[in-house]
Order: sequence, then C-alpha cells, then structure tokens
Amino acid sequence: MAYLSMGEAHRRITEYLNRFSDAVSFQDGASLKQLLSVSSNSPSLLSLADSLNVFQDANRLIKQSEKYSQFGEIIAPFFRCMQSYRTGNLLDAYHAFEKAANAFLPEFRNWESAWALEALYVVAYEIRILAERADRELAFNGKSPEKLKGAGSFLMKVFGVLAGKGPKRVGALYVTCQLFKIYFKLGTVNLCRSVIRSIETARIFDFEEFPKRDKVTYMYYTGRLEVFNENFPAADHKLSYALMHCHPHNEANIRMILKYLIPVKLSIGILPKDWLLEKYGLVEYNNVIQALKRGDLRLLREALQEHEDRFLRSGVFLVLEKLELQVYQRLLKKIYIIQKQRDPSKAHQMKLEVIVKALKWLEIDMDLDEVECIVAILIYKNLVKGYFAHKSKVVVLSKQDPFPKLNSKPVNS
Amino acid sequence: MDSQCSTPVSSLPRYKRSPSRRSKSRWEPLPEEKSVDKPVSISNDVVKYDGWEKKPPSLNSESKWNALNNMKFSLPEKKLPSKNTQRPAKRQHLAGGLNAANNDASSDSDKEQSLTAYYSSAISIANTPEEKKRRESRSKRFEKGQGHRAEINYLKQKNAGAGNLYSRRASALMISKSFDDSGSKAVEDIDWDALTVKGTCQEIEKRYLRLTSAPDPSSVRPEEVLEKALLMVQNSQKNYLYKCDQLKSIRQDLTVQRIQNQLTVKVYETHARLSLEAGDLPEYNQCQSQLKTLYAEGIEGCDMEFAAYNLLCVILHSNNNRDLVSSMSRLTEGSKKDKAVKHALAVRAAVTSGNYVMFFRLYEDAPNLNSCLMDLYVEKMRYRAVSCMSRSYRPTIPVSYIARVLGFCRTSDGNDEDSDGSGLVECLEWMKAHGACLASDDGGEIQLDTKASSSSLYMPEPEDAVAHGDANLAVNDFLTRTSL
Repeated sequence: MAYLSMGEAHRRITEYLNRFSDAVSFQDGASLKQLLSVSSNSPSLLSLADSLNVFQDANRLIKQSEKYSQFGEIIAPFFRCMQSYRTGNLLDAYHAFEKAANAFLPEFRNWESAWALEALYVVAYEIRILAERADRELAFNGKSPEKLKGAGSFLMKVFGVLAGKGPKRVGALYVTCQLFKIYFKLGTVNLCRSVIRSIETARIFDFEEFPKRDKVTYMYYTGRLEVFNENFPAADHKLSYALMHCHPHNEANIRMILKYLIPVKLSIGILPKDWLLEKYGLVEYNNVIQALKRGDLRLLREALQEHEDRFLRSGVFLVLEKLELQVYQRLLKKIYIIQKQRDPSKAHQMKLEVIVKALKWLEIDMDLDEVECIVAILIYKNLVKGYFAHKSKVVVLSKQDPFPKLNSKPVNS
Repeated sequence: MDSQCSTPVSSLPRYKRSPSRRSKSRWEPLPEEKSVDKPVSISNDVVKYDGWEKKPPSLNSESKWNALNNMKFSLPEKKLPSKNTQRPAKRQHLAGGLNAANNDASSDSDKEQSLTAYYSSAISIANTPEEKKRRESRSKRFEKGQGHRAEINYLKQKNAGAGNLYSRRASALMISKSFDDSGSKAVEDIDWDALTVKGTCQEIEKRYLRLTSAPDPSSVRPEEVLEKALLMVQNSQKNYLYKCDQLKSIRQDLTVQRIQNQLTVKVYETHARLSLEAGDLPEYNQCQSQLKTLYAEGIEGCDMEFAAYNLLCVILHSNNNRDLVSSMSRLTEGSKKDKAVKHALAVRAAVTSGNYVMFFRLYEDAPNLNSCLMDLYVEKMRYRAVSCMSRSYRPTIPVSYIARVLGFCRTSDGNDEDSDGSGLVECLEWMKAHGACLASDDGGEIQLDTKASSSSLYMPEPEDAVAHGDANLAVNDFLTRTSL
C-alpha cells in the first residue's frame, strides 16, 4: 500500500463525512447506499478504511461539526467496522456494523419519504453478509456461530419499520427475501412461516406493488418450501412464476429455479426437453428422465445413487425417489403393449410372474410377494386401473385407460 | 425419573422442589465464570436448610433423615435469608442419622430397601482420620484462591472445635461451594474443575439422588467401582425402573468427576439400549444426545449401532422431510456400509414407499435393537398395508397371507411358517379391531372381503397407553410397591 500521510488520511475521512451529510441533506439515496456497502470493496471505501487506520482519531473529526456529529451514532461504529473489515477482523466488523445499523434504523424511520430505501437495502444485505463471514471466523476458531441469527433479529426489526401504510412498505419484500436467505442457510426453515404470514395476510401489502426482482426471489423461496412439503401443484405454480419473470439473461438464477422445478414437473408427469438440461448444465437429471421414459428402474436407482449427495443437499432426493412408482407404471405399460400385440384379447390380464421376469431382465431381483406388494400400491395410487386377483396371481387391468396419465396432478399419496 | 424421596409429602418439612427444567441436559456442567471476591459468610450456608422446622426432631427419626438429604440436595434458586439461627439444630439430625447408617455399606440389594438405608450409606460422612486429612488438603487447595482467607480461617477454627459433625459438615460444604454468595447452585453451575475430586464411595449399588450442590466425595464412586456397578446393572434381573435408577446414579457420579471415556460411553449405551427395549423414548433421547457428543470427541463405542437408531428415530417419528434428508446427508460413506445403518436406510425406503412386504421382512431380520424402534411404526404400517390391499385386491385375500406378510407369524428360526397358528389368531384379532370385514370361504379359510373393508377400516384409539409400553411398569404400580 502506498504511503498515506496523516494529512491525506484526514482529507479522505472528512470527504466521506461531507458526502454522508450531503447525501442525507439532498435525500440522495443512490449516494448514501454507496457509502454503506462494506463488502463491495469499492476503492473509495477501501481507501477510507486505510485512512481510518492511519488517522486513528476519527471520532474527533466527527465531533468537529454538527453536520457530521448528528450522524455520529451511525458513522462512528461504521468507521470501526471499516477498520476491522480492512484488517480482516470480521467478527469485530460485524459487531460494529450491527451497531451502526441499529442507529441507522431509527433515522430511516424518521425520514419522510422512501428516498433512503436503497440505502436500507444495502444495510440489510451487508448485515447478512458480514454475519455470515463472522460466523465463519467463529467456527474456524472453534466457537459457536451465532451472528447470522442475530442478523435475522435485526432484519425482523427492519421489517417492522417497513410494515406501515407509507411508501416505504414496498421494501418489505426485499427484507423478507433476506430473511429467507438467512433461514435457509441456518436450516431454520420453519421460521419462514411467520414472515410469509406477515407478508401474505397483511392488508397493507399488495403483492403486485413490489419490485419484480423481489417477487421473483420470493416465489423462488416459497416455491422451494412447497417442494420440501411435497405440495407439488403449489410448488409448480410458484417456481414457474419465478421462471417466467426471471430475466432471461440471468442464467445463474434460471438454473437455480430449474434445479427445483424439474423434479416438481417430473412428479406431475411433465418431462423437460433434453436441450433445457444441457443449456443450464443440469445433467444430473439426464438419467432420471431416461429411466422415466423407458420404465427402467435400474437406471433410476443408479442415477439416484450416483448423485445422492447432491440431491440430498438440495433436498430433492425424496422427490426423485418417489418417481419410482412412475417408472414401474411405465414398465407395466410396456409389458401391456407387448401383450396386446401378441394377443389383444388377453392383454388386460397380466401375470405376476411376467412382471417378475421383466424386472429380472433389469437385474432387479424381487420375489413374488414383493412384486405383488408393488402392484397393490400402484393400483392403490391410481397409477394402474384394475385389481389384483390373489389366488391366480394376475393383475386384471381395466379395459379403458389402464395406465392413466398424471395430467399435471401428482401421484396420490 | 426424579428420585426425590417417595415419602408421602406430609411427613416432610415443607420445602420447595428445585424448580427449573434446564434446557441443557443436567449432565452437562456449565463452566463457572469466575470466583467472586467477597468471602462467603457462613450464614449463606443456611440457604440449603431453609424451610427446616425450628425444633430438632428426634435423632432416630429416619424420615427426617430422608428430609435432611433431600433438603441438602434440592436447592432452588431461592433468595437468601439474611440469617438463620437454626443450623445447630439441623446438624444434630446428621449426627443421629449418620451413626445409624454406617453399617449399611453392603446393603442387601435383593430387597427394595428403605430409601433411608440408601441415603445414609451413600452420604455417610465418615468420622475417620482419612476424611479429616482429605478435608484439610481440600482447604489447602482453596487457600490458593483469592480472597478466601477469611473463610479458610473460619473453617480452621471450626475444625478445631472438632469432634462435632456440625463443623465438619459445615466445612465440607463450605469448601465445596462455589465462591459465590448466592449459594444456590445446580449441578451445571458449579465449577467442577475446581471441585472435581476423586470419589471414594465403594457402593456398587446406589440409588439416584439428584444433586443440586457440590457432592461429598465419600458419596461419589470412583471409576473402578462404577465399572463394577455397570456390570451389576447389566447382569441384574430386576426391572427397568430399578436399572434406570442405578444407571442415573452412575451417570451422575461420572459427570461429577468429569469422567468422559469409554466407560462413560458404555454406561450411556447400556442405558440407551435398556430404554429402547422398554420403549422409553425420552430417556433414550437423553442418552443418545450424550452419546453424540462423546462419539464426536473420538471416544470409542458402538457408534454405528447408534447411528442406525438415530436414523430410525427420525424416520419413524418426524413427519418432517427436511429432518430426514439432513440426517441422511450427514451419513458418511463409511457408515452407509455398516450393516445396522444399511438396515435403517432400507427401512427408510420401505416406509417412504409404503412397501409393507419389505418393511416386515426388515422387521423380522433386524440387527441390534432396530426392531424396537420399528415397533413404534408397526401399527401404522399394518394399517397402511391393509388399506392398500382393500383397495387393490378383489374379491378377497386369505387372512393367512396377510398374517404372513405383515409380520404376525414371527418364528425364531426365521421362516415365516405359522407353525402353531398363533400368528393367524393374532392377525384375526387385529383385523377385527380395525373394522375389517371377514368371511369364511367354502374351504373354511378366513378371507378378507376387500371391497367391504375398504370402507369399514379404521384406526382405533389406543387404550391404556402406558409410557413404557409395559403395563408392569405403570407409575401407580411403582408407587404402591415402593416401601419406606
């Protein structure tokens, strides 16, 4: 780092102070937000941090003038945050930023219009990011990471400030999404419910008024929650909304949405085209889809095993596993088609041992009892129309549409 | 199971039970923050005896002896009285009780002894030279601490007053108190590092007395004795409640002495297995969480066995897919190859898909105690199976087939032939209890009428649900059987 003189440091700090107070005086949200983006690593903030570390007595500067000192409660801790951030001390940086944020919030509340909303977004974003990094530092040192939880509490306060009748309320969805990110990261997904309730049932909020970007993010997270709960129609609706309204150039986000949408669609009987998987690099689903098309149980099981870790981590494993029944259905349908070709009059009766044999060809070793059980389950869930005659060990298929399509409805549970 | 004395409350002097349930397991001592500088005044000791009656009861009254011991160890976070002139009186109880108790070292463990005998032998403060020496060395240890001169001098004075149990007791408790004048500490709040002493008690069999303040070393058993105690419990023919009580006592002695090694693991594993067999899930969960910590510290034990139990618990108890998925994702490659874990994973797959044939096959051939956990799901699985069969089979299914695939015909040699017909009978009873429509066919074989049953099946309310699943262990039963 080039040598920074005391004089120069003094000058840069004062420059920051001026910019801050001007931004507030002129209600310049765009400028204010840049002055608070710690993790953006912008050259001006980095040089501010260096200056602070050289000058060491910024508080005196703040007190010099009323136009700075009125924001002292925000700026002083913010300065400490920048100093700690610059020296890699992320826990202290978080603590200082939390103080600054807590001082910022009441000021924000007092400002009349929503001019500072973008700056508030930055504060909300930064507190989450800094908390994550502080937690990493804590965990690295063998201590328990609890800063992200604290950031969550702060954001709830922010939500409270925004939940009013004025123009600031359009910021509530952004804060909600930050909370979602925190809860998903912490694994405390059940906490999302109360936030969702606040957003969806409060009369002051009109979903359509919120910025598009926030709506997409919101639908993505709530869609994922529906996947966890296996509400496939709802998941389909939400994730599809997110997909449709997501900016087409934002490939990373589209990929994230598809990662969850594809298993959902598969569960309601809709298969994606091959090029979609290729374009967005979701090749882990290739074999799953092949297995569904072919009724190849062995291939499905192999695919699940191969990518087990990935599927478990993203939480779609159980959804994909449930596709087994559809694979069985496809297999039985193929047997039926072959039988129909050979002897149409007898096609609607399928002997159990034939199914056992077909599975043996797929190197799946299941005995009569087990196959009988699977057939019973298929009939029970309406994947096969007909009944099973135990004595003769024959599946008697309905003459009409014995293998009903799912038609965008999930398999009965 | 709290073993506050089971004396009818009326005979005890009034005292308040220790209130709070701690969210943390009480077997995890919390670190003490720092010593308080002010010397502890003797009057603080009084807190422990708050609530005592004013008159010294007769020395030989055993029930008061019980009360004494309960008093000492049940310390709620009560306010300190500023002074209490009753201590002298209490000391005398001790004297009386102790003398009576000393001979009980080898208690006859075949009878449910009066609690008195247990308590007195466990807490006997031997009036021996060794004990005096130990006390002195303890007081020397604490001399090094700051600002405690005052108490130590006081104690020495007291000790010099000699011969009477009152002062000895006072000094023992004094020293073992944490240097904080609130005086009302529970097991977790005490600075165990400073107080960890080697126990000297030689009792292999010892009832569980929940501690809320520092224990007397002569009431704590050293590791060698605890090993024997564990063995005793493992070989004992007595019922679950007895073993549970003994094990809790062993666990407490281990915690108090900060012993965290293979013995500790064995104790928790033993207790966990017993709870599983008895169907006592809360106790099992307590042990399981301790085991998790111990295994994580690298202490050897049957970690695969318990990983399987853990998985089964999640599968069979929570409806939460997230918990299930995260448990599964936390399994290491190595553990997935373990037989017990593989079995648990197979059960998981069977439950998720509703594959009853697979479920009951796994039930039949379960490693370790996996079947005990599966027990908790058997009813549900059978109901799911029969509902499914009622919708898919026409016109009927022989009940003998259902009995076979739904695990009613359990035989020891592994084949599922119902040689004595008892499985069929049990299955028929089950069917009837669940509203199934049955009919005999021409050959005299009983069939399930599937179409009719599909609308008549139901899940009945469980009757006489007993926590342990074993009616012999019903609480009322226990209370009436324990004598004083």
